[in-house]
Amino acid sequence: MKEVLIEVKDLSVQYTSEGKEIKAVNNISFQVNKGETLGIVGETGAGKTTTALAIMRLIQTPPGKIRNGSVQFDGKDLLQEKESVLRKVRGNKISMIFQDPMTSLNPVYTVGDQIAEVIWLHEKVSKTEARKKAGSILELVGIPAERGSEYPHEFSGGMKQRVGIAIALACNPQLLIADEPTTALDVTIQAQVLRLMTNLKEKLNTSMILITHDLGVVSEVCDKVAIMYAGEIVEYGTLEEIFRNPSHPYTQGLFNSIPNMNKKVRRLTPIVGLMPDPTEIPSGCSFHPRCPKAMKECKSMKPGNIQLNGEHKVSCHLFDETVVRGRVETNEPSTP
Amino acid sequence: MFRFVMKRLLMLIPVLIGVSLIVFTLMQLTPGDPAQIMLGPQASQEDIENMREQMGLNEPIYVQYFKFLFGIVTLDFGRSIQDGQAVITKIFEHLPATLKLTFAAMVVAIAIGVPVGIISATRQYSFFDHTSTIGALVGFSMPNYWLSLMLIIIFAVNLNWLPVSGYGGMVFLILPAIALGTQTAAVIMRMTRSSMLEVLRSDYIRTARAKGLTERAVIYVHALKNALIPIITVVGLQVGVLLEGAILTEAVFSWPGIGRFMVDAIRAKDFPVVQGSVLFIAFLFVMVNLLVDVLYAYIDPRIKAQYK
Repeated sequence: MKEVLIEVKDLSVQYTSEGKEIKAVNNISFQVNKGETLGIVGETGAGKTTTALAIMRLIQTPPGKIRNGSVQFDGKDLLQEKESVLRKVRGNKISMIFQDPMTSLNPVYTVGDQIAEVIWLHEKVSKTEARKKAGSILELVGIPAERGSEYPHEFSGGMKQRVGIAIALACNPQLLIADEPTTALDVTIQAQVLRLMTNLKEKLNTSMILITHDLGVVSEVCDKVAIMYAGEIVEYGTLEEIFRNPSHPYTQGLFNSIPNMNKKVRRLTPIVGLMPDPTEIPSGCSFHPRCPKAMKECKSMKPGNIQLNGEHKVSCHLFDETVVRGRVETNEPSTP
Repeated sequence: MFRFVMKRLLMLIPVLIGVSLIVFTLMQLTPGDPAQIMLGPQASQEDIENMREQMGLNEPIYVQYFKFLFGIVTLDFGRSIQDGQAVITKIFEHLPATLKLTFAAMVVAIAIGVPVGIISATRQYSFFDHTSTIGALVGFSMPNYWLSLMLIIIFAVNLNWLPVSGYGGMVFLILPAIALGTQTAAVIMRMTRSSMLEVLRSDYIRTARAKGLTERAVIYVHALKNALIPIITVVGLQVGVLLEGAILTEAVFSWPGIGRFMVDAIRAKDFPVVQGSVLFIAFLFVMVNLLVDVLYAYIDPRIKAQYK
């Protein structure tokens, strides 16, 4: 059994906008073991970024608010600790790579200074030493150390994301949260950046949470996968379990909407409809209005977390024996 | 950078020609004959005519204008009609007082505007934010001559803390600087607030927080430098407003600056003095804004790259 690095339990985050409550993340739980990579997959607005920011307690309050839950890390609950304790965790033990490298670096400071800043902040070194170390980290991500004296606008998008990675890895964090690190990049650069991240992660023995909407990226990098929909984790399992046996209708829908090289199809099968408005999440299973296999129960009852085999868990009534057996006994058709 | 400054200095020429043209025309359009004013109501028609000839007022207007323009090039702004002194020496006599007042007013404005703006932005919609917004509105709406009089009544007449008016040490500077700087403080405060609010929402601020920096470092190191561009733009433009406001403030506080000197000159239709002073103030204003543009480059490397 591997050692657990971080355990998130019953995390809920809400935003308030114009008096309305937006339930961005609802009671999600997951854990990441040491050295492992967890992929969090979902559409835009599923609550992936919010989850990541909540772990580091970087949600802007207001409008955001962490309603309940705990984040166990290093024997502490990060959601209960003082701000000063969290500052020692951020950038040091848990660090983050952001989605848009174009806007994530401060335009008025050199990249070298921006990397050195985080080293100087967390490690007891002088500013000159920090700058020297920043240079060697730049080399590590494949940028000549001399370019540390340049400003972000002098770098391309892919290079900027490398700088972002350098900042994140500067203090050898135990956990790296990568929030769609390749979404804003060209496909060729995506592969480079992804390879760089996984190499460094292995070299430094860092665990990682990779947030993405790209199942291709997940298959290359992740050990565990969590599928998020409307602020909930609807399916969780090892990479193999999810890819071999996608069980939740939403997960199946995601896989069906990827073009398959071996099959000739005229059209892809998208998931019908749109992500629900987070101010009005549907009753019961939040996916039921879009679900091709929705039953009567799905509208009224929230599905529980059902253990399939191994680590594979799914929250769907189709796998709930009491619901399915009840249907067989009353002889109801399985489609409404 | 050097080339940029040189280019901007060259651009000063058409600006100053434009200003000189406007001032010259305005002076021509104001009623009253300088020669007559100079000689007084008892002067005979003949004396006035001689005076006009002597002052070059009988030459065609365009000739008068070009004479004025060529004078400027050699830093000769002519002589005052009132006392025959060279305009340039009179300007240099009165300018230091005005610069002192303007500078002090700007210090007051920045010292109040920037910190209050930053705190308002970091605590958006808090009690402090609402109070300072109302304060800015009040500060901006008060005409500065009225504020000057109120300050005099409260602090000089009733409390007797500061002198009513006059020129001298620091104590004389306090009231006029506050009176003149209040509007500018309000403008700078609002600009700082909105600029900081925008910067604080940006992704790199989130990156800075994710590094584990204190909120103080996030605001003063990462946010403020980015928020400065619009703030110093406003500061540069407000220099013009202050120079203009100085005219009234100087009148109220009997401050011997260029503003009061110009008001007196306008009344006496002392056109060489008015033209020279206006040109000089325009020159100062343009120079301050050139300085602002140069400062941009030191704050933002992206702008510096454009200057090459």
